[in-house]
Amino acid sequence: MILELLLIIILVAPLFGLFIGWGRPWVRGMYSLLVALFPLVTLATLYGRTIAVQYAHLPFVGIDLSLRLTPLSWFFGIAVAAIGLFALVYSFSYMKDQKRLDLYYFLFLLVNAGILGVVLSGDLFTFYILWEIMSIATFLSISFRGGKALPAGLKYIVFSVVGSSAMLIAIVSLYVSFGMVDIVALATALSGATVGYAIFILVMFSLAFGIKNGLLPLHPWLPDAYTESPTPFTVVLGGMLTRLGVYGFLVVMYGMIGLPLVQRMSFGPVNYGIILAWIAGITILFGVFVAVFHDDAKRILAWSSIGHGGYMILGLALAGSLTLAGGIFHALNYAMSVSLLFLAVGAVEYRTGTCDLTQLGGLCTRMPVTFIASLIAVFGMIGVPLTSGFVSKWLLYKGLILDGHPFLAFIALVGTWGTVLYGYKVVHNVFLGQVPEQYKEVKEVSWTMRAPMIVLSSLIVLFGVLPGMPLKAVSAIQTHLGVTPLDTRLFGVPKALGELNTLNIFFAVLAAGLVGYGVFSLARRSKRVSQYDNYAAGARVPVGQYQHSVKFYDQADRLIRPYLRDRIDDFYAWIAGVSTGFFEQLRKIYTGNVNTYATWIVLFVAVLIFMGLLGWKP
Amino acid sequence: MTTLMQVVWIIALPIIALLISVLFLGLFRKVTARIQRRYGPPIYQPVIDLVKLFTQRSNISHGLIFDAGLIIAVAGSLATVLLIPAGGIHPLSSSGDLLLIIYLMLIPPMGIALSAGASGNPNASLGVSRKLILALGYEVPYLLVLLTVMTYGETTSLLSVVQMQAGSILSWGVFRFPLAALATFLVLPVMLGIRPFDIVGAPQEIASGPQVEFGGKYLALATVEHALHLFIVIALFVDLFLGGAANLGTFFLKMLAVFLIGVFIGAVYPRFRIDQALKYCWKWPTLFALSGLILVMIIGG
Repeated sequence: MILELLLIIILVAPLFGLFIGWGRPWVRGMYSLLVALFPLVTLATLYGRTIAVQYAHLPFVGIDLSLRLTPLSWFFGIAVAAIGLFALVYSFSYMKDQKRLDLYYFLFLLVNAGILGVVLSGDLFTFYILWEIMSIATFLSISFRGGKALPAGLKYIVFSVVGSSAMLIAIVSLYVSFGMVDIVALATALSGATVGYAIFILVMFSLAFGIKNGLLPLHPWLPDAYTESPTPFTVVLGGMLTRLGVYGFLVVMYGMIGLPLVQRMSFGPVNYGIILAWIAGITILFGVFVAVFHDDAKRILAWSSIGHGGYMILGLALAGSLTLAGGIFHALNYAMSVSLLFLAVGAVEYRTGTCDLTQLGGLCTRMPVTFIASLIAVFGMIGVPLTSGFVSKWLLYKGLILDGHPFLAFIALVGTWGTVLYGYKVVHNVFLGQVPEQYKEVKEVSWTMRAPMIVLSSLIVLFGVLPGMPLKAVSAIQTHLGVTPLDTRLFGVPKALGELNTLNIFFAVLAAGLVGYGVFSLARRSKRVSQYDNYAAGARVPVGQYQHSVKFYDQADRLIRPYLRDRIDDFYAWIAGVSTGFFEQLRKIYTGNVNTYATWIVLFVAVLIFMGLLGWKP
Repeated sequence: MTTLMQVVWIIALPIIALLISVLFLGLFRKVTARIQRRYGPPIYQPVIDLVKLFTQRSNISHGLIFDAGLIIAVAGSLATVLLIPAGGIHPLSSSGDLLLIIYLMLIPPMGIALSAGASGNPNASLGVSRKLILALGYEVPYLLVLLTVMTYGETTSLLSVVQMQAGSILSWGVFRFPLAALATFLVLPVMLGIRPFDIVGAPQEIASGPQVEFGGKYLALATVEHALHLFIVIALFVDLFLGGAANLGTFFLKMLAVFLIGVFIGAVYPRFRIDQALKYCWKWPTLFALSGLILVMIIGG
C-alpha cells in the first residue's frame, strides 16, 4: 500500500504544483519542498524492509504490474530523493529571477518522481513507462533555458529514444517468449533460456543503460546536456539520473538474467564481464583525460561524469565481492561529490555569471563556504583518504588486484591522476590565485544555496571516516543480488579482508595536523599582505594583465591532446549531417502543388501496372 | 608489539624520519658540492637553516588557505611515514596498505598546491602546474611497478611484501622483479625532484615555483615536507625491492645507498624541460615497468 501511495503522490503532486503556486513564489516553494521531502522521509522509514505489491492486472495482455522495494532500490531511491531535495532547495535562490518557474518546478519534481518510479518498479512494463516519463521530462528540463540548450536537449532525446527502443525490443521479446514481465518471475524463467537469447536480451538492455550512463561510445549526448541545463537540474542529472544506468545494469545483469548465465556468455577466454570491464576502462581513461583539457567548469564535470561512470561499470562488470561493493558504493560517492561540485560551480556562476575557468580566480576569500565545499568535493572525487570516495576506490582497486586484473587496476589508478589534474584545475582557477578586479565585490551565496553544500560536504567526510554506515546497505544489496556480501565494520573492513581502518587514519592525520599547527603557531605571527605583494625574481608583475590559468596544463596538453579527439562524436555528427541531407531531399516530395502530387500518383500506378505486366504478384 | 611500544613508536618514528631525512638533504648538498669540486656546507647545515627559518622575525602570509595548505601537507607526510614499515618498526601498518599509501602520498602535494595557489603568485601557479604534469609522468611507470609487486605477492599489504622478501639476499624484490626495480630507479630522481628533474622548483626559470612566496616558518614547513617526502619515497624503495630490514640501522644504511646513487647521477646532469621529462617517464621506465608486469602475470607469483 505504502509504495503505491508513494508513487501516486509523487507522480500526481507535481501537476498540482502548476496551479498552486500561481504568482506566489513562497507557496510554490513550500509545496515543492514538501513534495520532495515526502519520498525521502517515506524511504527513510522503510529502511531494511523488502516489500512487493501487485498494483494492477492488465487482463487484455495477461500481465501483472507490481512495485517492489529491495535493498537495491532503497539504496538508489534514498540517494535520488536526497539529492533531488538538495537541488530543489538550491533552486529557490538560484532560479528566482528566471521565467516559467511553474513549469520548471513541475518538470523538476516529475523527473525525480520518474527516477524514483523506475527504481521502485517491480516489472518491466512499469519500468519502461516511468523510464519514458523521466526521459521526456528530462528532455524538457535540459532545453529549459532555450537557445543553445535546444540542440543539447534534442541530442539527449535522440540518444534516449534509441536506448529505450532497444529496451522495448527486449521487453517485448521477453513478453512474447515467456508471457510475463515481472522481473523476479522472469529471473526464474530465464534461468532455463539459451545463452544466445540471454546475450540478445542483455545487449539490448546494455544499450539503453550504457547510453544513460554515458558509457563509451554512447556518450555524446552527455557533455552538451550537462553544460546547457539549469545548474540545479544538472545536479539531478549528474548525481542520480545518469546513474540509473548503473541501477539498470545491476537489475538486469544480476537480478533478472542472473550471474550464472552471464558468466556462461563466453567466447574462449573473453566473456561478457571482461568486455564490459574493458569498455568501462576505456571510458575512464578517455572521459577523465578529456576533462583535464577543457576550460568550462560544467563541461569538465560532464566529462568527469563519463569517466567516473566507468569506475562503477568496471566494479559491477567483474562481479567480484569487493569490486561490486566498490562499484555500487562509488555510484553513491561520486553522486555526492559531483552534485556538490556542481552546486559550488553553480554558486560561482550565480555570483559571477560565468563558469569559464579562464575568467575567474581568487574567490576563496569571497566565497569561503563554496570554496571549502568544492575542495571537499574534489577530494571526494579523487578519493583522498578520509573522504568516502577513497573507500569505494580502495575496494575497487583491491578487488581488481586480487582477482588478477592489474591492467584494469592500472587504468583506474591513472584515471585518479587525471582526476587530480582537473580537480585541482577547477579549484585553482576559480578559487585560488589573484581575484580579478571585476570580482572584488563578489559575496557568498544565500543560505538556501549554502545549506545543501554544507550537508553534502559533511556527508562525504562522515562516510569517509565511518564508511560502515553506507557499506552496510551495500552488503545488503550484495546479499539481495546473490553475491558474497562484503563483511564490513563501522570504520573500514575486518582484518581478514585487508588493512583499512579509517578511524585510525583519521586520528593519525588529525594528530599530525595538530602537531603541524602547534609548530606553526609557536613561530612568530605572520603579517597579512595583499595579493599583488609578490616576488617575481625582480621582474614587475603587471596588475590585471596576468592570467596564469589559461592553458593550465599546456605542456601535457600538446603531448596528449592529439589522442583525445572525440571521434565518436564526430561520427555521430556525420551521421546526423547525412541523414538531415537525406530527409531534406525526401521533403522535396511535398511541394504543396496538386499537380506534382497527381504526377506522383500516376507514376506510382504506372509502376504497379508495369510490375503486374512483369508477372509480380503481391 | 605491545600497545605501549606502539604508542612510543608512533611518536618516535616521525621524529627519527625527520632527522634522518634532513641529514639526507645536507648530505645531498655536500656530495653535490664535492662532485662539482666545491667545499660545500656542513652536513648539518639544513638543521641550522630550519632553526633559523622557524625563529625568523617577520613572516608573510597570503591568507588562511596559504597557512592551512602547508599544515595539511606536513600532516599528510607525517601520517604517511607511520604507515611505512621501517626496519621492523610498523606502528600503523595494520590500519592501511599500499593502496592507502599511494593515496596518502597525494595529500602533501595537494596541500603545497593549495598553499602555492593561494599565494596569488603566477610563478607559484606555474610551478604547481609543472608539478602535477610531472606527477602524471612518473605515476604511470610507478603505478605499474606497484601493481607488479602487488600482483606478484597477491596482496596489497606492504608489510606482507616486506615479509615475502625475508631470507637470503636473492629473495629481495630487486631479484624477483628486476624490471620493476629498474623502472622505479629510473623515475626515482623525477619523484624526488632532483637534477635533472628539478623542473618544479627551478630557481632560474620560475623563481623556485611553488615555494616562491614561502619565507620564514612557511619555508621551514615546506622544507620539512620536502624532507619527509624524500624519506617516504626512498623508504618505499627499500621496502619494495631491498627486502626492508631487520632493524632501523640497516634500514637507514640501505636508504643511504639508494639515495647516494641517485645523487651521483643527478649531480652531473643539466635540467630537463617538462615535456622532455614527460616523454622520458613514458618511454623507458614505462616500458620496463610494463614488461615487468606482463612477465609477472605470465610467470605468476
